[in-house]
Amino acid sequence: MSAVTQSGLHRDTKGSKLVRYSLIGISLLFVFLMLILPLITVITEAFKQGFAVYSKAVADDYTIKAILLTLEASFFAVAINTVFGLCAAWSLTKFKFKGKKILATLIDLPVTVSPIIAGLIFLLTFGRQSPIFPLLQDADIKIVFAVPGIVLATIFVTFPFISRELIPVLESQGTDEEEAAALMGAKGFTIFRRITFPHIKWAFLYGVVLCAARAMGEFGAVSVISGHLRGKTNTLPLHVEILFNEFQYVPAFAVASILVMLAILILVARSVIEHKGRKK
Amino acid sequence: MYVELKHINKHFGNFKASDDVTVGIEKGKLIGLLGPSGSGKTTILRMIAGLENPDSGEIIIDGKVINNVPASKRGIGFVFQSYALFRYMTVFDNVAFGLKIAKKPANEIKERVHELLELVGLSGLEKRYPSELSGGQRQRVAFARALAPNPQLLLLDEPFAAIDAKVRQELRSWLKGMIQKLGVTSIFVTHDQDEAIEVADEIIITNRGRIEQVGSPYEVYSNPKTAFTASFFGQPSIFKDYSNFRRFDILENAENAIVRPEFVKVTKKNEVQKYKSSAEEGVVEEVDFRGYGIELRVRVNGVLLTARRSFDQPRIDVGEAVDVFIYRMFVTQGDTATLLENKSLREPVVVI
Ligand SMILES: Nc1ncnc2c1ncn2[C@@H]1O[C@H](COP(=O)(O)OP(=O)(O)OP(=O)(O)O)[C@@H](O)[C@H]1O
Ligand SMILES: [Mg+2]
Repeated sequence: MSAVTQSGLHRDTKGSKLVRYSLIGISLLFVFLMLILPLITVITEAFKQGFAVYSKAVADDYTIKAILLTLEASFFAVAINTVFGLCAAWSLTKFKFKGKKILATLIDLPVTVSPIIAGLIFLLTFGRQSPIFPLLQDADIKIVFAVPGIVLATIFVTFPFISRELIPVLESQGTDEEEAAALMGAKGFTIFRRITFPHIKWAFLYGVVLCAARAMGEFGAVSVISGHLRGKTNTLPLHVEILFNEFQYVPAFAVASILVMLAILILVARSVIEHKGRKK
Repeated sequence: MYVELKHINKHFGNFKASDDVTVGIEKGKLIGLLGPSGSGKTTILRMIAGLENPDSGEIIIDGKVINNVPASKRGIGFVFQSYALFRYMTVFDNVAFGLKIAKKPANEIKERVHELLELVGLSGLEKRYPSELSGGQRQRVAFARALAPNPQLLLLDEPFAAIDAKVRQELRSWLKGMIQKLGVTSIFVTHDQDEAIEVADEIIITNRGRIEQVGSPYEVYSNPKTAFTASFFGQPSIFKDYSNFRRFDILENAENAIVRPEFVKVTKKNEVQKYKSSAEEGVVEEVDFRGYGIELRVRVNGVLLTARRSFDQPRIDVGEAVDVFIYRMFVTQGDTATLLENKSLREPVVVI
């Protein structure tokens, strides 16, 4: 271990001290300017006129409603994408079938397509100009400019997060252990619970966290389909925008600070999961 | 016959992995399934276990056709090539898994697991995880796990492949002893001919999805029936035209001549040799040290043959002209192999 540094590189190949410190310096400066500074600004702006104004803004009815809606949409997105993610990852790694490549590619579509387009897709599919709109109306189902539309849009944009985390782990595991269990008489669900799930647990939780984070922060797709009805179809990010456009800066930053705190919470959860997952 | 395969065919896409496989296995025997990589050994094992379905043909165990019996109901123990131990379970839970699935009472499970771990020499390691075991220990856990539900048939896919040479040697004799002691009919896959010869009661030789030959290790080694089997064992020198080797009968439509190192005797010009007069002239091209002695490569009649000598014989150098006597060779015609003896062996010996 003497001549070889921890990362496995020989000391000579790492360049001089000058290079090292300037690289680290640039990275730190960048992170500070692009991340820390804005975050501090959000928090200080939020508390600019004291805690009373802050708590009033946060405890505002519309804000509470927005928080609840955001949590609701995130919950559904995580729940549905969990089921879908498990199914997709499982079938892509354990089965051979026609169209497998296409499925694998399509799963990634939501990350490559602009969220605005995603919103528009749902607007066109379920909105007034859509051929199925009369059917929905007869059945008294409202999707566009209503909560279901927001949930749908959120699901769409967070679609690949869980399956993408699961696929590499499932792939690396192979099918031997499951076959061994099946040979001893274990049934499908037992095999999943006892053999597969322990293996994918941390990757799965990591996917859930990423999915939740993305769901809470989603703006574009939701913005298109929500109709911005305050107290009805306003999620937290949309609420921030509305407040900001109305020049209510302090409340805007106060609500934004909630999102920041959620993000930090998720970051912590993520680190814990990553740490635990690595230990295994 | 305890296990019987009748006219089994199996395709993967257009690739024929099993081609009319027909073979029978006696109860209590330890069978080696031997063949080169990709010859369909694992496929045969997986079909017997029920992890793969044949396209056609019958699999019979103990007189019953089991093609439609699900894998879990066949009462077969399977040791995977990679062991496939449950990595998130302890050694104890690994071995206990099949018993728990079968809903055996807890104390019975405990007793059986301890009995098995003692049998494989792993008592005291119950609480370890597979990642905390050596290769040989993992192999033993896999073996114990496969045996736990008392299978009537044990299938082992390359059980020693992932273990280093020294331990492998020990485990081979250990496994052979263990299986004999338990009396469970077993089939193990290997592509290592020494391993098959050493461990198996009977060897089934596979090649390109077909069964080439079945017999005792001695039988398949010394009396190969097919061109493939003849060329598979030993360290054969294979060449086309053997007409220059005058002391051998010429067969019609002969394709290849196969000479194993033990068929060749190389002597120095001044050494005494019984069949000196009918020896061929050769030139040594390579002399290699091996653990057991010296391996030579000698050019005779334009053909490069491999031969062996022991350390206590006089030294031979590269470039040296030597006498080469070939006792016998296999000659292939199409798919069959015939053993030819040097005619001098039948003639009265003239000692000079
Ligand atoms: N699931 C599969 N899909 C497609 N081809 C397969 C599959 N399983 C096996 N094959 C092919 O069938 C042939 C025989 O495979 P098999 O695994 O039985 O060989 P093997 O004798 O066990 O080889 P090895 O010694 O390398 O393990 C190989 O050419 C392999 O590529
Ligand atoms: Mg194999």
